[in-house]
Amino acid sequence: MKYKREEIVYALVLIAPFILAYTLFLIYPTIYQITLSFQKAPLVGTGEWIGLENYSKLINDKLFWKALSNTGVFVLWTVVPNTLLGLMFAMMVIRHRPIFQAVILACFFIPHILPVTVVTEMWTWLLSKQFGIIQEILDAFDTKRINFFTSRYWAMPMVAFITIWWTIGFNIVLFIAGLRNINPEIYEASEMEGASRIKQFRYITWPLIWPVTALVLTLQLIFQMKIFDQMYLLTGGGPFNSTLVVLQLVYNKAFQNNDGGYAAAISLVLFGIILMTSILQYQVLKKQED
Amino acid sequence: MKKGLLALASSILLSLPMQAMATTEVTWWDFLGGGDGVRMKSLIEQFNTSQSDVKINASTLQWGVPFYTKIQTSAAVGEQPDIMTYHLSRFPLAVPTGILRPFSAAELSSVGLGPDKYFPANWEAANVDGKTYGVPLDIHAMVLYYNKDLLGKAGLLNSNGLPNLDGVANFTAGLRKLKDNGAEYGASLATADGGTVWRLWYSMLNQINGAQFISGKSVCPADNCANVTAQITSWVGEELISSETAYPDAIALFTSGKAAMHFNGVWEVPTFTDLSKNDKLGFEWGAVRIPVMYDKPATWADSHAFAVPHSDRKPISQEKLQAVLKVISWMNQNSLFWATAGHIPGYKPIVDSAEYKKMEPNATYAVLAENAAFDPKSKIAGVASPVYDAIQNFILPSVNGQLESEEAIEMMKETLEPQIE
Amino acid sequence: MSQRIPNILLSLLTAIFAITWIFPVYWAIATSIKHEVDVTSKNTEIVPTSMTLIEYVRVFKESNILTWYINSLGTSILITLLVIIISMMCGYALSQLNFPGKRVLWWMVLASIMVPTTALVIALFVLIADFNLINTWAGIILPQIISPVCVVVFKQFFDAVPRELREAAILDGAKEHNLLLNLYFPMSFGITAALAIVTYIGAWNQFWWPFIMTTQEEKFTVTIAISSVQDAFGVRYAREMALAVLAGFPVAAAYLVFQKKVTNALMMTSGIKG
Repeated sequence: MKYKREEIVYALVLIAPFILAYTLFLIYPTIYQITLSFQKAPLVGTGEWIGLENYSKLINDKLFWKALSNTGVFVLWTVVPNTLLGLMFAMMVIRHRPIFQAVILACFFIPHILPVTVVTEMWTWLLSKQFGIIQEILDAFDTKRINFFTSRYWAMPMVAFITIWWTIGFNIVLFIAGLRNINPEIYEASEMEGASRIKQFRYITWPLIWPVTALVLTLQLIFQMKIFDQMYLLTGGGPFNSTLVVLQLVYNKAFQNNDGGYAAAISLVLFGIILMTSILQYQVLKKQED
Repeated sequence: MKKGLLALASSILLSLPMQAMATTEVTWWDFLGGGDGVRMKSLIEQFNTSQSDVKINASTLQWGVPFYTKIQTSAAVGEQPDIMTYHLSRFPLAVPTGILRPFSAAELSSVGLGPDKYFPANWEAANVDGKTYGVPLDIHAMVLYYNKDLLGKAGLLNSNGLPNLDGVANFTAGLRKLKDNGAEYGASLATADGGTVWRLWYSMLNQINGAQFISGKSVCPADNCANVTAQITSWVGEELISSETAYPDAIALFTSGKAAMHFNGVWEVPTFTDLSKNDKLGFEWGAVRIPVMYDKPATWADSHAFAVPHSDRKPISQEKLQAVLKVISWMNQNSLFWATAGHIPGYKPIVDSAEYKKMEPNATYAVLAENAAFDPKSKIAGVASPVYDAIQNFILPSVNGQLESEEAIEMMKETLEPQIE
Repeated sequence: MSQRIPNILLSLLTAIFAITWIFPVYWAIATSIKHEVDVTSKNTEIVPTSMTLIEYVRVFKESNILTWYINSLGTSILITLLVIIISMMCGYALSQLNFPGKRVLWWMVLASIMVPTTALVIALFVLIADFNLINTWAGIILPQIISPVCVVVFKQFFDAVPRELREAAILDGAKEHNLLLNLYFPMSFGITAALAIVTYIGAWNQFWWPFIMTTQEEKFTVTIAISSVQDAFGVRYAREMALAVLAGFPVAAAYLVFQKKVTNALMMTSGIKG
């Protein structure tokens, strides 16, 4: 391939800033953290080389496995419901006239726009055991009031629910785009053949929207495995570490216990898991499509 | 020659006022929010306007683990503050990590500070292995706030208008009476906050003759811990005290009149004082020492101290250190105003002064200082320590009825004892 | 005929869902305009009977919110500018120019989408500390200027521009930089604006990174300030909600004004449309 000299110069100028930033803030930190994970080191500064000791410590650490399973549980609570609900709401939205669509979509999307701290402040107030209005609803049903974030059983589902509340707007928008791409004539034709709504969904909508569904599922999986913000703000990992997720463990080990090497190892393991899972999931979903 | 001298003299003259005007900036971090925060901000402002040599730049960070974590990470990168507030209860834990820079006796005496200016127990707590790592500002404890109107109606006030609730059976009866007379709760306690529950729990434990929290390598050697836990649980179970209540909610229960009494630290005194002053409270309030439930009086107490973080990367300069010492000395001498936040000043000359002796409600509960029960002097104890975590993880669920008290104590022992060295 | 009734039912159901979904936001606003005393005593009052803006006034008078706003605004705008410029340049090069290593660069961009930058926070923290950029705007901004997604979107957009336009311009004597500045860039106003808004909102809402690396209150962004700063006291729910509303308002307003652009941008970045 012949390269024009001038073109190369232009190209270098154009891509230089990106490459600089990429190297400095992506490649370098990754390498740094990899090397850190093989050391016994504090957060800042150097330590002694201990090879794979951090990793073997990790495998035997009950807390690590708990954090991993918590992250897994959280993923189960959020990924599929968030996707299916998103599709359901999207289908409800597009049935209306455009002006209503904008209003309804705004209702679902505004939560997504808000910063995580605003979301957690709002929900902490809503669920306040003494004065929260949700508790008043529980009163109306004659059930005992619950402190959701200190309850072993409720903490995780509640954070999951709030996460769904917060992020579903994104999924709805994607599904709306996908649904709009489906030719309405297909529906009209099936209606003339007497197909019921349910049949239409099963044989037309679901298969045609599948690429979007697959994409949403993959994105959701990646997002929720990286969860930290709202968990930290709402429960801090409690009660009894029942909501301690992997990134919170990394934070605790790195910034509270000052164990930089170990924290780096944990974060790299998470990194690897996310990478593998998303590649795997993408392949599986792609297969299903064919 | 003359010209040269003139030039030299005038340049010296010109530089002098410049040197006098150079202000040293001191970065200050504290965790004082609420009524404490307002008062401290006011003190800082007073300091800054009273002189121009030193200027304090203050930041207030989140109380507890986040504060101590940020100190640690900042010191590691050389971004630590010049002066910080620190809980004395945490010193045994903190000193071995190297985060605190000790003061030398000479440094302290250069601004007129020394052991003679503080209460012995307080000064003791600020020293580890013979070195002074902090200068006490105050002693703060837990007290019982009460609604004078509601308690009067239930006949629980004595002739001096003070509650007579000593003795655990008597106290329980009092709680019941308050409920019978219309209160939703006899008392509110932040039962979702480990720190608050610890303060009441530890007070009650120390009221039992011979009870120990840590004895040698053993935690909770006898069954006193379980008994205290069970007692609080029974109050919560009978709904005499609100269950699973968040910290701000517990206060709101008291201020809205739904709870007739409220267990909390002295630092909430300004909250009620200010509400009352603005006619927003709706009832007369008071504060007394925690009732003597068992054998002898005892009240949990801790102490705020000023400390200087140590950093290998960027140790504090001599100039800043002098400025910091000036700040500490000024704060101590002006701690009468700090006492309006409900605290007992650490600086003895202030405590012995006539104005302090008159201050209310401090004067009513000042007697607690005689039986102050400080956190155990151990690496596992203090604010944001394994003990605090254990209380949050085991005692809290037990008090809220989710775990048997004996089981909770067992699990606490299992977690804490291996960490004692 | 029998299809009509379900339609009305469906619309009703949709409306109920939508109202329920937005209720928490409404509730926060309603709480923030109540008197503090009413918040706890009349806590089931859905529509406030007695309203006041005093809590908002208090927030402005007693907290550093203006400083925090400036920090948020400044860092968000700078991040947006840098992201757009860097991504557009890189996307253009990938789309229109030929150079050795182009393939490699493209795969690097795609691969980095899956990188959880949150997991790199330890190394980033040390790096920023080494440059003495803790507690500075530069420290907050720099790790956030990489946006592989924006690069991808720009590249795909530029790919879709008909080559005839390019060739015609070259015949007219345009040099490479003329092409970018005078042809491609103006054409991309639509998606540039959309990407800019989405990037801006994302930057404003960042929590994890600014939280880790800012320790001084005057450097907080409004997003982390509302959970890190403790200076209200006593019973303060209305005030907390006022602060939360103030923190979320700028981005919510930006969304409402640019609603169409934002949704379009999302669809584009996911490759579903455009």
